[in-house]
Formats: sequence, C-alpha cells, structure tokens
Amino acid sequence: MKSTKYVVTSQDSDVLPSDIALKIYELGREINVKETCFGVIIDGDEEEIEATVKEIRAMDPSNIFIKDRGFPPGDPRRCRGHRGGGARPGFYMMQHESEILPLISRGLDAEAKGEEVPPEIGTKKRPSLEEMEEMIKEEFS
Amino acid sequence: MIRIAQLSCGSEYSGVQGELEKAAEMVGAELVFPEVSLEDVRNVEERFGIKVASGDLNLAMARATRIVENPDLADAVFVATCFRCAEGAIVRSEIRKYIHENSRIPVLSYSFTERTTAETLLTRMEALVTTAKFKGLLARERQTGLTAGIDSGSTTTKAVVMRDNEVIGTGWVPTTEVIKSAEDAYNAALESAGVKKEEIQGLGTTGYGRHLVGKEFGAKLIQEEITVNSKGAVFLADAQRGEATVIDIGGMDNKAISVQDGIPGTFTMGGICAGASGRFLELTARRLGVEITELGKLAMKGDHQKVPMNSYCIVFGTQSLVNSLSAGSRPEDVAMAACHSVAEQVFEQQLQEVEVKEPVIMVGGTALIEGLPRAMEQLLGLKVMVPEYAQYIGCVGASLLVSGLVED
Amino acid sequence: MVKVMVYPPTSMILADLVERTGHEALVVSKEVRKKVNTPGLDSPPLNMTPEDPKKGLKYAAVDVPSGVRGRMSLLGPMIEEADAAIVIRGDDCTLGCTGCARTNELTRFLLKTKRIPLLELKYPEDEFQAKQFVHKIREFLEGLN
Repeated sequence: MKSTKYVVTSQDSDVLPSDIALKIYELGREINVKETCFGVIIDGDEEEIEATVKEIRAMDPSNIFIKDRGFPPGDPRRCRGHRGGGARPGFYMMQHESEILPLISRGLDAEAKGEEVPPEIGTKKRPSLEEMEEMIKEEFS
Repeated sequence: MIRIAQLSCGSEYSGVQGELEKAAEMVGAELVFPEVSLEDVRNVEERFGIKVASGDLNLAMARATRIVENPDLADAVFVATCFRCAEGAIVRSEIRKYIHENSRIPVLSYSFTERTTAETLLTRMEALVTTAKFKGLLARERQTGLTAGIDSGSTTTKAVVMRDNEVIGTGWVPTTEVIKSAEDAYNAALESAGVKKEEIQGLGTTGYGRHLVGKEFGAKLIQEEITVNSKGAVFLADAQRGEATVIDIGGMDNKAISVQDGIPGTFTMGGICAGASGRFLELTARRLGVEITELGKLAMKGDHQKVPMNSYCIVFGTQSLVNSLSAGSRPEDVAMAACHSVAEQVFEQQLQEVEVKEPVIMVGGTALIEGLPRAMEQLLGLKVMVPEYAQYIGCVGASLLVSGLVED
Repeated sequence: MVKVMVYPPTSMILADLVERTGHEALVVSKEVRKKVNTPGLDSPPLNMTPEDPKKGLKYAAVDVPSGVRGRMSLLGPMIEEADAAIVIRGDDCTLGCTGCARTNELTRFLLKTKRIPLLELKYPEDEFQAKQFVHKIREFLEGLN
C-alpha cells in the first residue's frame, strides 16, 4: 500500500529540507520526494516509507516531525493551481502547528535530558468579596 | 470565464462540492477561493466584526473581507452553508449583507443538504453569472422597436408584445404542453397587439420552459427568471434607479430579489413547500368555490386572525382550511388566512435572506390576488406596490432586454 | 501498541508524539487516503459523496446538518477504533475536518462517553507549558502500555 507523509522541520532545526531530500536519495529507496516550504513530502510503498521515516527522524530527533497526508503529492484534486486558488484547510493547520514546533522541540529536548518538569502554575483565584470591595474603593474613591 | 468566489462551510463534507462545481461549469463559470493568510483568519473579528466557534465559517468571513478589499478577485459571490445550521445561517446572512453593502459584486446565498444537485442550483447560478456578465445589457432602461417576450411558467404561460417602451399586446394560458401553450399565449399577444409574428424584431424567453420554447421560436434571448423579473419589475414600477425589492410568488417556487439600479444584488429562490406557493391559493379558491381571480377580493373582506392556518405545508394547510370551514369560519376569513399563510412563509423563509428596501414590488400572477400583497404589507410594515401587468413581468423583462440585443 | 485517536485529527504534533512512543495514531488523513484512492469514485476534492452524510446518520440524527454528518462519517469509525485519545481543547485554528464546532463537540463527547483513557490539554504558549505538554503526553502514552 502507498503512503504519503510530511516531514516538517522546526524553525530551530539546523536540518534543511534539502538535507532531508539528500538523505533520502542516499538511501536509494524508491521514494518520491518533494521539497516544500515546511519540509518535504515523501510518497512511496508503506514499508519503505516507515523505514525511511525512522532514519530521517534520527537526523534531528527533537526538531523533525512527521505527519500522514491523505493525498499523494501534487494531486490535482487538492492542488490549488487546479482548484480556483486559495489554500486547502490543511495548509493553515500545518502553519499553525509549525509556529508551535520550536516550543515542542524544547519540550522534547528537556524530556530527552531528563530535566525536571516545571511545576504547574496554580490556577487563577477569584478575589474574595472583601478584596473586591477594597479594589472598588481604591478605584472609585 | 466568470469567477464565482465560493464562501462556504460544509460543502465538501456534505458531498455536494462536485455539484456546486458542476452547476458553475454549466453556466460558464468557475468557482474560486480567494487567498487569505492564517493571520486573516485569526484576525477575522477585527476585520469582519465577529469570530465564531466554527473555523470554516471564520475562513469564509476572512475571504469575504479579501473580496471587499480587492473586488477584482471575483465577479460574483456564492455564500453557502449547511441547511439547519444556526451558526452557519447567521454567518451566511452577515457575509451576504457585508458584500452587498461594501461592494457592487452580486451575491447568491444558499443553504444546502446532501441532496442538493447541480440542477437545483442551475437557475440561481445562471442568474448570478448573467448579473456579473451582462451589466451593460441589464442597465438598459427603455424598450425600443417591436419585441416580444414569452414566460413559460410551471402553471401558466404568458406572452407580451412591446413597441417603443409600451406593452401593446398580452396573452395568457394555463401551461399544458409547453410548446403548444407558448404558441397559444404568443398568438394571443400578437393578435391583441395587431401585429404579425414576422414583424417581431426580437423574442426573449424565460421561465421553466425557456430553453425549449426559446429554441422552438428562435428566441434571441433565453434568460432565467431572476434577471428578467428584476428588470421587468423595476421597469413597470418605474423604479429603475436606486434600490428596490422584488417579490415573486410563483406556481412552484418563490423569488425574493434585492435590486440596485435594476440589477439583482442578492436573491433567493425556493420555498420550503408548496404551502408557500400560488398552488395553495388555487387550492383554497377551489375549496371555497370561487374563481382564483375572485379570491383576493374575498380575502380583502376577511380577517386572518380568526382562522389558524399552518403556513409550512400544503397538506396541513389544506387540513386547516377544511377544519376551519367545517367549524363555521367565514369564507372571507379563510381566504385572508390562506393569503397570510403564504405571505408569512415567504416572509420568514426568504425575505430574511435579502435586503428589504423600498419600493417593495410584488409581481407574478399571485400579486393580483389582492389579499396577498395586503398580507405582505402587514408582515413587512411597508407599502407593497403591484405594478400594472404584474402577471406579465417575465415577458416584459425579456422583451425589454431583448430589444438591447436587437439594436446591437 | 495502542490505537490513539488524536484531535484535531489533522494534528501533526499529536500524531508525531504518539508514533514516537510506538503507538498508532489514528488521524483523518489515513481515512482521506482511503477515500481518494477508491477507484471509481470521482467526487473531488475529498471524494466524499452524498452517501457519506447518510453514513453519518449512525452518529447524528437526520436533522443534524449534512456537514456534521459527513464529517462524522470520517471521524465516527476512528472513534470506534480508538483505544485511547488525546484531545486539544480551546484551539482557535480549526479548519477543514475540524472546521465545524458542532462536529468537534460531538466527537469530544463520543470520546468521553466511550470511557477510554483520554488526555485533554491545550497547545502550549510558552516553554514551561511546552515542557509540561510533552511530559504529560509522554506519561499518558507510556501508561497505555
């Protein structure tokens, strides 16, 4: 069965999409590679894709993220060039999550190093009636 | 190619996106999706005025703001959301108003189900494309030369002959066989005008049978009802400049159109059930034992509040009719209740989807049933105008528009 | 290995974290892949047809909008298949499969009432939150073994 995946690099990563593409070419597997602004799209036989994903991840474990894609690369049914312009909804989600990736990378780094998890910040407490009264007096006196 | 910007939520997941695209293609248009950034979507509240829980609706609003900022992005706008979605209905209505108020781009608003087909959308899409494509032709305000129009409707077929901006002949027959009825109506119009068919310089057709009749009679213009009715209404009501609202309660469907300078701006077409159509009034007349032409006069003497009437279904509506008569209600009250019931459904279902601006012009054969425009006046709190030849509105519009093609 | 449904079902972050720990992430793109690769179906872009909202009747009644039922025809089988779930709450970028708030509510409800291990959290906004986010997910996933 065919499988298509996005390989996305966090903005903090030193690995470039071209580095990933090169790595895949070096592996010599029958995989289609398409470079995009986020990373690369890879498409091929499911088993080959799974094996490749492991090797790509190893290039920078905390900064490389993998996601399944429904459509094969450049599918005219989804490609905006064929469909009246405008990004497909998945594009926005990808952009949205990409903005969070550097934070996730730091979280993954901390986990890898066995850092202690920062304590939860206590939930905000409502002021008591007396405190509220005091605030109103201060504000309106 | 006319570009129709699709601002929607749910069409792909309802399995009808293909149908929308097919309908656009059939009328020579393509659906486009204006490019917006993620920031545009996130900031939709600042840009549009509201942000809602459903992201795809925020995306649709963000696209609307892009179109208003850059009207060259689209020639027309199609706003569509799922039927029965309250959130979608609010946003759809606000997008329609926003585009209408901030641009001159025509808008069509629609709520779909998984059963929506390209065929259902065809007339609406055709009107949208015509409005976008033939602004010059639609700007025409005077009929010139000797032209005719045939309106092949679902219930009746009408024809008019016009000369130098005047209606000089009319014909009206119930629709049986489409071509035969058109021929009869056309001949009657020609006869009353005292002209021969060969003298007619241009013929325009409209209504359900427009394509068949148009082909048979060699029409120069074959046009859907939204465009020609708007044109015919503002012509006959002498409201060609500025705003107007056209309401046409037909035999099978209803149209509500916001018009600006004689050109449809936003419009809706449809009706939940035959309970909101001319058919129900026909049925009422038959049950009351009066001619349809007398129903209106009878209704004017009645009070709708004395008879409870279901306005959402022809079956239940008829049941209310029978029950109230057997309970001793006066026929005039029943007649007015029936008119009110039809007007109420059009008011609730369709007039909420367009901008109701005065003058409000009621057209079509049903406008002559006096109780109906009166009921509409009561519901809208506005004066409703019924122009002369209201039942020939489609023919007049077609005849007027085709004269522009003759001159060219 | 446990099947973990992630929500948003298009979330790269969640799917990636799930698969890092050796579990299988249930994501909507796999459902879409099945659809777009179905020969004979030609209803672009997603190859969804009016039959799909009808399949969605299993999860929502006929008076629920067709867009909700159509989405549920994709998400419903994933919910059924899920052994556990991770759900992001309060996100303001929900588009496409998660573009309908009613569908999102129904999905969350069905996942909750299925009484499977469920982790609900928000996307992190700073480094502290990110560390907690990754840690909680790792703990949750490791606990599934």
